[in-house]
Amino acid sequence: MAVGRKKISCPPYAEGTALSEKDISERRVTLFEDHPNLVYSWTAGQAMSRFLNELKNGKLIATKCEKCGRIIFPPRIYCELCYKPIDGWVYVKDTGTVQTFSISYIDPDARPLEKPVIVAVIAVDGASPNMGIMHVLGEVEPEKVYIGMRVKAVWKPENEREGAITDIKYWKPLEG
Amino acid sequence: MEVEIVKGLKFHKKQDVAIVGAGMTTFKRRLLETGKELSYFAVKQALEEAGLDIKDIEMVVMGSAPDAFDGTALKGEYLLDGAGGSDRPYLRVFVGGGTGVFAPIAGYWHVASGLADVCLVVCEEKMSCCHPHPQSAFKYIWDPILDRPLKPNLIWIFALEMRRYMHVNNIRHEDIALVSVKNKANALDHPCAQVAEKITVEDVLNSEPMALPVRRLDVSPPSDGAAALIMVAPHIARQLTDEPVWVTGVGWALDTTHWTNRDLYFPRYVAEAAKMAYRMAHITDPRKQIDVAEPYDPFDYKELHHMEGLGLAKKGEAPILTREGVTARDGDLPVCPSGGLLGVGNPIAATMGVKACEIYWQLAYRAGKRQVAKEVTTGVCQAWGDLMQVGTVMVMSNKR
Amino acid sequence: MIEKIVDPEKMRHFPPKGGKIELYWVYTSGRAGEEFFRKLREGKFIAAKCKKCGHRYFPPRIYCEFDFSETEFYEITGEGCVEAFTVATLDLNEEPMEEVIAMIKLDNTDGRIIHVIKDAKEVCIGMKVKPVLRRPEEMKGNISDIAYYKPV
Repeated sequence: MAVGRKKISCPPYAEGTALSEKDISERRVTLFEDHPNLVYSWTAGQAMSRFLNELKNGKLIATKCEKCGRIIFPPRIYCELCYKPIDGWVYVKDTGTVQTFSISYIDPDARPLEKPVIVAVIAVDGASPNMGIMHVLGEVEPEKVYIGMRVKAVWKPENEREGAITDIKYWKPLEG
Repeated sequence: MEVEIVKGLKFHKKQDVAIVGAGMTTFKRRLLETGKELSYFAVKQALEEAGLDIKDIEMVVMGSAPDAFDGTALKGEYLLDGAGGSDRPYLRVFVGGGTGVFAPIAGYWHVASGLADVCLVVCEEKMSCCHPHPQSAFKYIWDPILDRPLKPNLIWIFALEMRRYMHVNNIRHEDIALVSVKNKANALDHPCAQVAEKITVEDVLNSEPMALPVRRLDVSPPSDGAAALIMVAPHIARQLTDEPVWVTGVGWALDTTHWTNRDLYFPRYVAEAAKMAYRMAHITDPRKQIDVAEPYDPFDYKELHHMEGLGLAKKGEAPILTREGVTARDGDLPVCPSGGLLGVGNPIAATMGVKACEIYWQLAYRAGKRQVAKEVTTGVCQAWGDLMQVGTVMVMSNKR
Repeated sequence: MIEKIVDPEKMRHFPPKGGKIELYWVYTSGRAGEEFFRKLREGKFIAAKCKKCGHRYFPPRIYCEFDFSETEFYEITGEGCVEAFTVATLDLNEEPMEEVIAMIKLDNTDGRIIHVIKDAKEVCIGMKVKPVLRRPEEMKGNISDIAYYKPV
């Protein structure tokens, strides 16, 4: 019993049998592999349905709350600070400012990418401060990106748009 | 908009809560044992330290993070028999990465409300079941409409937050890399450590880029492991020991999943949780009154970010404290003396072993080679998780 | 208040045809499971008995869940009797199938196994059954190493 005793070293021992990557891939231990077959489809809801429909038309839409005066983007049907329904829809521009960015060399499964992806949080013009979305940047060298850079959305041609966030291919720097 | 909810909270409780035992298994990238067996080992070690038997435990709280890692839906139910949950009230809590400190908070409720006198808290995680890589399970965490079509990797949000933090406070990567060097060296004295090693700042800055500015040696690895804690009421603590460690304050807070609508340079959710815990513990000046701290450090910049959220440093000041050696084990405010997640490993919920359990061992003077040089009275541990949303804080003291 | 969208054509699901999340899982058997499947390769079944209270666990475990003490492994025949059974007519994806699934109480243990019964003209509760194992070179290290149960 260790309770009450000082100057001993806890934890006193470490249980556990470590395995290496080869133990699993070469099946040196017994194991069971399961490949599930699950497919999901999510309802967009009231606000996001309108958002996706407007994306197909090549426009970005936000919502406004009269009580706190915020223009909320991405849109939602309630204002979470005032906790009441929103009061109307507002179109916002497809230009914005880079709030933060990163240059990624890995894909979602942690495998290396050949060409790095530049991802950024872009605060959209026309919405309240800090109302941003995450998206990728293009037509720019990774070293030239900086916080505060002005960018504009590059859309897919109208016949290729399907009502998804990928209808914007990427955002490119605004010259001048 | 800052909302001062904490002022109106009442902290009525029936009895104080003490911790009398803790245990953990080793943390490694993949372990042979099943989740049930790992929980059993951690609980056995905690019972041995406390001098109790499983029959003395009245209620059990299990903390375990996303089911997607273990590949078992209803993970809490699966782990029940290994965690001592047969024949007694059993509860699973889950708040993402914050579970490491949220599970002891849930254990605190059980004892402080008077519903139980002895409560066992167990945390377990087996990330190695998830293939092709544990990070793949994080594909579920993103908004399906706004984020998933862009094929994001979870490291992206940390890289975005780190860049914002560095930009607003004007901090260089070299100062942040010092945290990784310190924690991996501290972990050399921990028997359960997975990635303890001696490295330099140059090693960190030259390591493989993942999502710049984050590089491989800035990140903690995925791990398997388990940890356990035993919380008791004062009259039981008195029978077992003369000097138990008391839980004096708890706090927790969450922020919105619309993370792109926040300014990421300051963790508001940690500050809110810390305000609640400090108010309960009657702490007015954390920098002077806290003797040892274990903030959550899955990335090196996160330790600094959370130190500022916890009030241990002013905004932008945390890297200066690290550079001056204040946060080393023999410094004035030791931070992560166990080696933290960067040195010992990151099994999401089982990080309780290097956060809550470590503060308990430090305050009970049982940390062996990791014991900090100065005399300690009050310590704080903190965890964080989800889409950078949750802050959970617990303050402990060895004086009542 | 804003007007709600009520036209179903305008409500969106995303992705429209459903998206799959690419993940798969690999489960190790643990210390007790390793021992169980190794012995199965030699044609033997094992169960575990608690050193303190004597509870006999099947499938075997390294701890007793009631008094948290250690267990010791011992050999059993693998034969048992049927406690309950059902005839399954739909599989996981609701395709038609026909199989008798039974819950079999194993002799000399306090535990049961769920498995398929074949080669039986009729199945009733209390019927004695014995296992048929795969050939050792076909064994994969999971429960399907027991091919099926058949009447004694």
